[in-house]
Amino acid sequence: MSVEIDTRPIWVLLALRALKPLFYIVLAAVFLYLVAMPAPAGLSAAGQRAIAIFIVCLVLWVSNMVPLAITSLFAIVLVPALGVLSKKETYALFGNEAVFFILGAFILAGAIMHSGLSNRIALNIMDRFGRSPRTLLLSIFLLAAFLSFIMSEHAVAAMLFPIVFDISKGLGLKPGKSNYGKLLFFALAWGCVIGGVGTFLGGARVPLAIGILKESTGKSIEFLDYAVAVFPLVIVMLLAGYFLLTRFFPSEVADVSSAHAVLSRRLKGLTKMSYNEYAVGGVLGATIFAWIFFGKAAGLAAIALSAVVCLFALRLVRWKDIEEYVNWGIILMYGGAIILGTALDKSGAAEWIVNLLIGKWADKPWMIFAIFSLLSIFLTEAMSNAAVIAILLPVGIGMAERVSISPALLTYSIAVPAGLAFMFPMSTPANAIAVSSNYITVKDMAKGGFIMCVVAWVSFNLFAAFYWPLIGMGYGK
Amino acid sequence: MKKVLLVLSTSGTGQEVIDYAVGRARKEGAGLIALYILETGLANGVFDTFTDVGFIGDKPSQDLSEAIMKEYRQRGYEELGRVQVKAMEEAVDFEPLMEDGGYVEKTLEAIEGRGVLAAVLVKRREKMFLKYFSISHADEVKAQARCEVVIFTEREG
Repeated sequence: MSVEIDTRPIWVLLALRALKPLFYIVLAAVFLYLVAMPAPAGLSAAGQRAIAIFIVCLVLWVSNMVPLAITSLFAIVLVPALGVLSKKETYALFGNEAVFFILGAFILAGAIMHSGLSNRIALNIMDRFGRSPRTLLLSIFLLAAFLSFIMSEHAVAAMLFPIVFDISKGLGLKPGKSNYGKLLFFALAWGCVIGGVGTFLGGARVPLAIGILKESTGKSIEFLDYAVAVFPLVIVMLLAGYFLLTRFFPSEVADVSSAHAVLSRRLKGLTKMSYNEYAVGGVLGATIFAWIFFGKAAGLAAIALSAVVCLFALRLVRWKDIEEYVNWGIILMYGGAIILGTALDKSGAAEWIVNLLIGKWADKPWMIFAIFSLLSIFLTEAMSNAAVIAILLPVGIGMAERVSISPALLTYSIAVPAGLAFMFPMSTPANAIAVSSNYITVKDMAKGGFIMCVVAWVSFNLFAAFYWPLIGMGYGK
Repeated sequence: MKKVLLVLSTSGTGQEVIDYAVGRARKEGAGLIALYILETGLANGVFDTFTDVGFIGDKPSQDLSEAIMKEYRQRGYEELGRVQVKAMEEAVDFEPLMEDGGYVEKTLEAIEGRGVLAAVLVKRREKMFLKYFSISHADEVKAQARCEVVIFTEREG
């Protein structure tokens, strides 16, 4: 056995060892200072403490020093401990409807994946439509988007990744060198990202935003209203994404018959469509129907949880299967984010931040909409989209109350762009796997992603200004 | 027997690097070891991103991680095969190696453990400001290895 000697200078080793504890010490010191300092004019003591918690969570969410869910747990502990909200109020927020809707949606998505239905749909669509380089690319792009309408975009990316890998290999594409290889993995990542904002189910960030909106204002956004507002934008972004990708990376592939052989081989490996797949598909269809037509009356969470009960009552899944497909950390993350948002709003901290930062000079509704959407789309490139909502939305709602803009509309201005992470692997898991394929470099992603971000932001603001008033969603309250 | 070590790049090693390593081994009358290092860290990173940020369960995250590692392993076999073909053509004694772990650690281990007289490495082209802030794995090996280290810079695109 060999003994390894680290030959780096001693000061480098000491500095590296000290970095993490030093980070926590500095963060704790900043937190204590913010709590202990005299409250600035116009800010209550509770508001000051809420801002101190907010800053600690912001730093932890951006730095990723601890998992996102643990940061949320920290907020859950600090909010009642510092008297920003009472214990009863804090833990009651944890049982918010949005949290249970997200839980139900994730269990439903887990059941779809476990049954093999999503895999079968994906293979059949690619096999049927992917007969030429252009249609194969389009089928991956649109399929990723379509599946992200009905289940978590992250789960879609994870599911489609091995198939796209096999296709690339089947076509003999060289990692890092083949433009068509880049196109396929970009189509996978961007399809998931764009599709993920199409409905409530894509990234679960919209339900989180609605949860914060409801706690702060009592207002809500319905499943169908959201889809009607955002769906045309999704179509425009898909068109723009396809156009940009095919201009950035002109395809060098003329024939995809070998990819077709890969898909046929995978399809042959599947058994006949089972009762479980039919039944899970049926439950999913019925659930979406109920969300659209009875969402307002019955409540989105109640419908989602009824679907979960159906899955178990019909013996379509076992608890063990669901445990493997659902990450329970999401409950902590989203519960904590709602608690933090409510604490900022109820303590008056959000309003104080608004006055301090943008309240003096941004007074036109379109300008506020543009600023929040810009902040949201660029912050989401560097941090989790749920964290972006937790940070921006309480401030945004505070701003909406101050000027004449609908809080629901401002929720859109943050929730939709928060999902549009195109630029970096750390922005969203779909980008991370696209880069891990080695077909796309970080540089490719940053270049293409930046242009796509600008296109998405401009399109989004144009839709808000010209299309939304036509469906009764003007800037005004 | 003396050895020349060629450390293969995970994103494809240029033919001129392979030609150089095989030519060098023949010139020195040495055997050629081709080492392909599986970057487990990358697959683990994706796994962590999916569980921590994407909040998807262990099963899909694990499946994804395994798919990535399977692909890297496959690429490794292909790369090693390319070197083997060239070594056979030049009648150079050839030994393939595939290792899981860190680049620097595994390369130095191969150099120390196998009596390597020269190591041929590939590094990525870096921006000036990145060069200032960090050291590449290849340069780190060069600084620590007790043999000659020849570094090629990977071409873009």
